[in-house]
Amino acid sequence: MSETQKIKLMSSDSAEITVDRDVAERSVLIKNMMEDIGEQAMVEAIPIPNVNEAVLNKVIEWCVHHKGDPPATNDDDADSRKKTTDIEEWDQKFMQVDQEMLFEIILAANYLDIKALLDVGCKTVANMIKGKSPEEIRKTFNIQNDFTPEEEDQIRRENEWAEDR
Amino acid sequence: MAKRSHEDQSTVDRSVKRLRPNHPDRLSQLSDELLLRILSYLSVSDLLLCQRLSHRLTSLAGDSQLWKALFYDRFVRPRASRIPGLRDREQSAKSLSYSSKLSKWLDDDHLVRRGNATNWKRQYRLRHNWSRGSANVSETQLAEHASQPPLLVRLHDDLVITADPVAGLRAWALKGNDRLIATTPCCSDKKDRSAGPTSLSIDGTQSRNDLVNISVGYDDGSFTIYTLQRNERRFACRYAHAPSRNGAIHAIAYASPYLLTMTAAPLLSLYRFRYESDEASSGLELSSETEKTVDTIPNKKSRIDREVPYRHVQEVPDGSCGNEGGVDHNTLIRPPTLISSLRSHTAYPPISLAIRASPISIVASIAYAMPTWTSGWSVGLQEIRIAPSGSIIDSRMASAATRGALSLPSNPQLRTVAHNYNTTDLDQQLVNGVRMTLGSKPTSLSYNHPYLLSAHPDNTLTLYMVTSNTEELSIGVGSRLWGHTSSVSGAHVGDRGKAVSVSAVGNELRVWELEGGMSSSTSRRRAATGEASVRVRPGRNGPTTETKTENSLRAHVGAVTGSRCMQEQAFDDSTVTQGWVAFDEEKVVLLREKMLGTQSLVVYDFE
Repeated sequence: MSETQKIKLMSSDSAEITVDRDVAERSVLIKNMMEDIGEQAMVEAIPIPNVNEAVLNKVIEWCVHHKGDPPATNDDDADSRKKTTDIEEWDQKFMQVDQEMLFEIILAANYLDIKALLDVGCKTVANMIKGKSPEEIRKTFNIQNDFTPEEEDQIRRENEWAEDR
Repeated sequence: MAKRSHEDQSTVDRSVKRLRPNHPDRLSQLSDELLLRILSYLSVSDLLLCQRLSHRLTSLAGDSQLWKALFYDRFVRPRASRIPGLRDREQSAKSLSYSSKLSKWLDDDHLVRRGNATNWKRQYRLRHNWSRGSANVSETQLAEHASQPPLLVRLHDDLVITADPVAGLRAWALKGNDRLIATTPCCSDKKDRSAGPTSLSIDGTQSRNDLVNISVGYDDGSFTIYTLQRNERRFACRYAHAPSRNGAIHAIAYASPYLLTMTAAPLLSLYRFRYESDEASSGLELSSETEKTVDTIPNKKSRIDREVPYRHVQEVPDGSCGNEGGVDHNTLIRPPTLISSLRSHTAYPPISLAIRASPISIVASIAYAMPTWTSGWSVGLQEIRIAPSGSIIDSRMASAATRGALSLPSNPQLRTVAHNYNTTDLDQQLVNGVRMTLGSKPTSLSYNHPYLLSAHPDNTLTLYMVTSNTEELSIGVGSRLWGHTSSVSGAHVGDRGKAVSVSAVGNELRVWELEGGMSSSTSRRRAATGEASVRVRPGRNGPTTETKTENSLRAHVGAVTGSRCMQEQAFDDSTVTQGWVAFDEEKVVLLREKMLGTQSLVVYDFE
């Protein structure tokens, strides 16, 4: 019991990845699955149909680094979350990936239910928005402007109250 | 053609290089839930920018739950931490609704209770503008000349009611183009005298917002009750009370069916209206309010004319009748029963009257300025509790306590004489003299439980916290509020400890956050340094929104000075503000009088 148990995960593109059980259980989804299927999980690979190999490896890399973190609380209250977008250095480096990977990590963290990783991902995106002009944000994410100039101007005026003067 | 397409191709190539090839909008592909999660890390200004990105982000970044959290972080949590004793509890309290005796919580609780109906972004903006003192200013000229007695103004939701002898009673909408809603001459029926309105009160108990009950007191001691029918754009005169020898009605409070008046005498009278005639009785004794029908009106009216010495009232044509609680809003109300009448030797204007209903009784309160024989003025408060049956349960008085007050023996001349009930209690409870710390006579007094606010000519305001429970009625030690740079001519305290005050010269308008009183040392320090208030600055996008109203006002009023967006320094010294202000959560209205005598209504809209 004391030695680390290994389990296998099967990515969406059918790659088998072997991982320490306690690392994999950073994912609430996997943890619950293990409880449900029990010993059989030790034998067969657990399918993770929504996540491909590259992303899954990245997620596992994060889980390995954060293995020792205190378990996430179930409390999803806005108040319990730190409202700052500060990200620790290792996570910042970890998140220096292209946008495709960044959003894949967010989706995977959401699917696998790894709240701390999801928060890091969301904070990273929030930091990409912060302090930019709407046009810069649009460019950053390639957001299509579906407003008429009049509509956009109206929203701008409606929101003028918060601007410093 | 070929050249053209080549050019297009190269443009695309360049932009593609910059944006990375076919880079899809991954952000917008996220679910609402995930996008909201990302947005929850953004500040107010970033959220507002995000609203300009796309239709979907407009709605997501305007999500009420996001703004609720922002509202809480900015406006609720910091205040909670300022209240002694709440600091610790706050840690465990996650929701906005933890209860506390302090009005602080009662406060925003109403927003929380409304649930989904609350638009938190709008609330945030409102509070933000309040805290910054930024408001849109619009000005409506009401009269070419100053009226004597001065024009009276009250604010009720988005409605302003004004009364003066020349133009009569008028109702103004604060929103929309069509500002003047209704007008009626004050006492159009009078022939031999020129009564001017001296007090004005709006019935806060009215639950329908298309019907507003208004009471007006006159300088001849008479008073009238009107119902403003918004949809029909007119005032219906419901009742007119005969003039009295007790002098002008200085203050009036109306909370249907109760009416409280204070005359110059000074005589305090409490009336109760009944809406149904009891045929068996003399015409003053009336029964259930719910059985009134239109059929009985002609009969009853003639009897009123015959038996009751009251002034002839304006005929009201029978129209479609709004019915509420069985009360026909077009018809006349029966003359009220005089429940109690008290003569006071201690109450001097300014006086603020209030009626509030509790489950077991109706509490009529009179806040008044009180001269003390040790020189100086203080404030006093009398509360009369009346049972629903009409009998007086008790009456008690309190006056402002002073820090280290000298208690002097009760002066026999400062007696309150009660006519309708035993006076012994009153004598005993009568204010023990209190040495005044505040020498000057208040220019204005405003009481909105538990806040009692008085304005002084010496550039200050004094806030008193009133305690009223079954055991005691007391007024706490007054806290001085600094901030004004000239004499304060008017002040008004509203429901949530939010107050506005206005100075006589220079038209300085300040908004105050008085929640929780001045109990903590922090808030006292803030008050002393003038930090408890914010000077109101007009918003910069004012002119665009005001243009329309100007036109509509011209159509209705005939003469309009126009609405202008005033710069802070544009408050010119040639204008003098009358000691009058009123406000609600969104607006502050003040009456301004120019040197030439022109009166105008200035509306500060914080929305």
